[in-house]
Amino acid sequence: MTGATIDHMISATVFIAAILIFISLFNQTIQTAIIYQKHRSLATKCSDLLDNMLLNPGYPIEWGKSNCTPTSFGLQDPEFTEYRLSPFSLMRLNYSAGAPVYYPKTGQYYSNITIGFGKSLLVPFNEVINYSIASRLLGVNGTYGFSLTITPIITVSISELQSNPLTLSVDVKGAGFPLANANVSYCFINVTGGQGPYPAYAVHYGTSSTNDEGSAILSFPSFDATQESYVLIAYAHLSGLVGVGYHEHVLYDESYVVPLISDFATGTVAIAHSWDVHGGSNPAEISYNATFVLLTEEFTLREMPLDNSTGKIGKINYGEGQPYNNITIPTYNPGLLIITYRKSAQESGIVMMPWGISSMAFPISFGADSSGKEWVTTDLRQVTVNNIAYQAKLSLWNMEGY
Amino acid sequence: MMRTIEILLVIIIITSAFLISAFFAVLPSPRQVSPINLRRLALTTLQTMDVDYDLSQTVFKSSDDPAWGGLQIALSACLPPNVIYNMTVYEVQSGNQLYTVIKSISNAENLGIGSDSASYLAASSNVTFKVTPEKIGESQGGATLYILNCSDANGWWITGYTAQSLAEDLRQALSPYFKSIIMVQNTTQLAQMLNGTALQNETVQNAVVINTEGEAVPIPSGYYASSGVGYDSSHSSYARYCHTLGLRVRQYNWTWVSIVGYPLYYVSNTGLFPTEQNGWGVYGMKMVDAAGLNAFLRGLDNQSYSYDNTWITGSPGIVYLSSQASYYCNYYGIYPSPYQTATRAIPDSILSTYHLSETFAIFNKVSNWMAGSVYKNAVSGSFIALGLTRSSDIRLASLGLLCAYKPRLFRSDYTVNGTSRMVVLQLGEAGGV
Repeated sequence: MTGATIDHMISATVFIAAILIFISLFNQTIQTAIIYQKHRSLATKCSDLLDNMLLNPGYPIEWGKSNCTPTSFGLQDPEFTEYRLSPFSLMRLNYSAGAPVYYPKTGQYYSNITIGFGKSLLVPFNEVINYSIASRLLGVNGTYGFSLTITPIITVSISELQSNPLTLSVDVKGAGFPLANANVSYCFINVTGGQGPYPAYAVHYGTSSTNDEGSAILSFPSFDATQESYVLIAYAHLSGLVGVGYHEHVLYDESYVVPLISDFATGTVAIAHSWDVHGGSNPAEISYNATFVLLTEEFTLREMPLDNSTGKIGKINYGEGQPYNNITIPTYNPGLLIITYRKSAQESGIVMMPWGISSMAFPISFGADSSGKEWVTTDLRQVTVNNIAYQAKLSLWNMEGY
Repeated sequence: MMRTIEILLVIIIITSAFLISAFFAVLPSPRQVSPINLRRLALTTLQTMDVDYDLSQTVFKSSDDPAWGGLQIALSACLPPNVIYNMTVYEVQSGNQLYTVIKSISNAENLGIGSDSASYLAASSNVTFKVTPEKIGESQGGATLYILNCSDANGWWITGYTAQSLAEDLRQALSPYFKSIIMVQNTTQLAQMLNGTALQNETVQNAVVINTEGEAVPIPSGYYASSGVGYDSSHSSYARYCHTLGLRVRQYNWTWVSIVGYPLYYVSNTGLFPTEQNGWGVYGMKMVDAAGLNAFLRGLDNQSYSYDNTWITGSPGIVYLSSQASYYCNYYGIYPSPYQTATRAIPDSILSTYHLSETFAIFNKVSNWMAGSVYKNAVSGSFIALGLTRSSDIRLASLGLLCAYKPRLFRSDYTVNGTSRMVVLQLGEAGGV
């Protein structure tokens, strides 16, 4: 009797222990499978959401060229199909990687994409689409967080090899791979000083091609960069891939022009004094003269001079009581607004602003910060923005954790 | 002791069950858990490289052409460094073997344990694709287009053109869509046509008549200018002729096209009115005024003639092509300006007054004004009126006519032997699992 009881107790104990161990083991397998399913589902959602953004233009379809808040979010260029994005819709996304800029004369904060001196795109907050609006329009508000980056595939970097006579090196690279034998077309603009109160400029065009290392040397035998300000804009293209780069050299940067987008619908750009926007020392009144350059379908650059009625020339001063000026860009063809400025005949410079994000191959970073998230999935697409090759990358995470 | 042995047996069974289930429940490799969509990446890479048709041009070049090198450089440059690829170009053929390899380029010996691919069909730029339009009214035995090209009549509000030049342009634009096109060279032929007599053995019934004289309409002398048929002697007006025209449109189920301005505002015949002018110095023309359109619409509705000189058109100003018209602009490849100025738009009240239905709106309606529409009578006959200000744009008349009939375009086969090549881009990820 005692032996049977002991046998019963041992067997029951062993059985319960074994069951608990096996439940734990099976549970671990099931948990792993569930997490796998969740991650897999997140990856599918990421791919779908990226296509959803890139393959529809949103509504109204021309929201990128207006001041309205879209009722449906999408970045596709309404004039095309597939993965061609609107250069203007991208301009209206709040750039998450840049510190906002405050301009007291309009009382507004501006989304800030700045790629070095004189190369910036500043869009007022009341015109940009922020992350919460996009998240709500995409139907992921509160459930998923995302970050969208759109970066140019081709990098065209320009460096000055020699100042007098000016010699520049244009280096064209892909994703870590030089673009050999690429065709390069360029536009060279220099401030000539002029005789009147406003700066004048001269525009030169040319073409070249890269060598096996992806480099092209451009020489300007009669140009002395120590005496004049200039900017070089170069487009490189090979087998459908197009990239853009720029380089500028200014003689005077204590006071300069800062273009600020005012109104997308009318193409109005506010011309502000740098001291009012970025501060600085030794501010002074400056005069300016603006022009607009387009990229043609043959990948050459063409100047589209602005009429005087657009406000292309003027003077601006700093501080209170000194109003800012306006320029109207009379086209929705993507291009570059190039503004030459000067304080005196010897103190001049050039600043640029893209009209359509692709004109200067500006990158886009839009959305929330993914750092610290438990699991972030990503997906990639190759896209074109006004024929400039970009790579779109979406990072997506679940707000619930996994 | 027996129970303990039984429990051990149970444990062995459950352990076996766990091992067996663990064997079959293979968890995926980490890369498969959250993969990059390589298929989409491959497709978008091909599309990016063909954005300016560079890819389509390269794949038709000989295999030793330097452009292939450029293609490989571009491919390597645009893909992420950890992505390896194999791009193969196939000739698309007919017969037993559909695809023949032309060229293959790759940056790795193999694509690892997992890969995905996308295909892209490139068409040769040397190929001409044939488009065969359907003939308007062919199934009903019609498909005749009459273009009023009367040398003995003058036009008005066709400033900058002559009726003859407009007629020739219309003939060129619309010739693919009609079985026969008859240029009505003078008012004598117009009278013959109005009598229902064929000019060149064509079918008169169900034809389309385009008046290239603008606001004026050619009038034959003789019967059609006689009192009670073409002339209203009590009002000294040729509005009666417009009524007769309306009756003929109804009788033969014609579609009458007015290309600009106030329809039927003048009648013109240089022989009949050698000393008459329209008030603006154009001789051979006599004003009918607003009574012409009113009489025409009455005739089209088979109402008896009565003189009514009430001005019925309005001036809505800028009007825009309707979305349907814009769609057909692309379909037929006709691209007039999407907005026009309308100063002779017809009110929608004519629809009920003359038993008409608006079968197609070329321009969006502004208030109650229809600047360009196709009207069909409940019984027979149609009327297209473009109430735009001068000068006329015959592309709009052509578009309106095509929108009214919507002839289909039959395009030739795309995958003709030797004209298409398929590009397959296979991508894999370098590295371990």
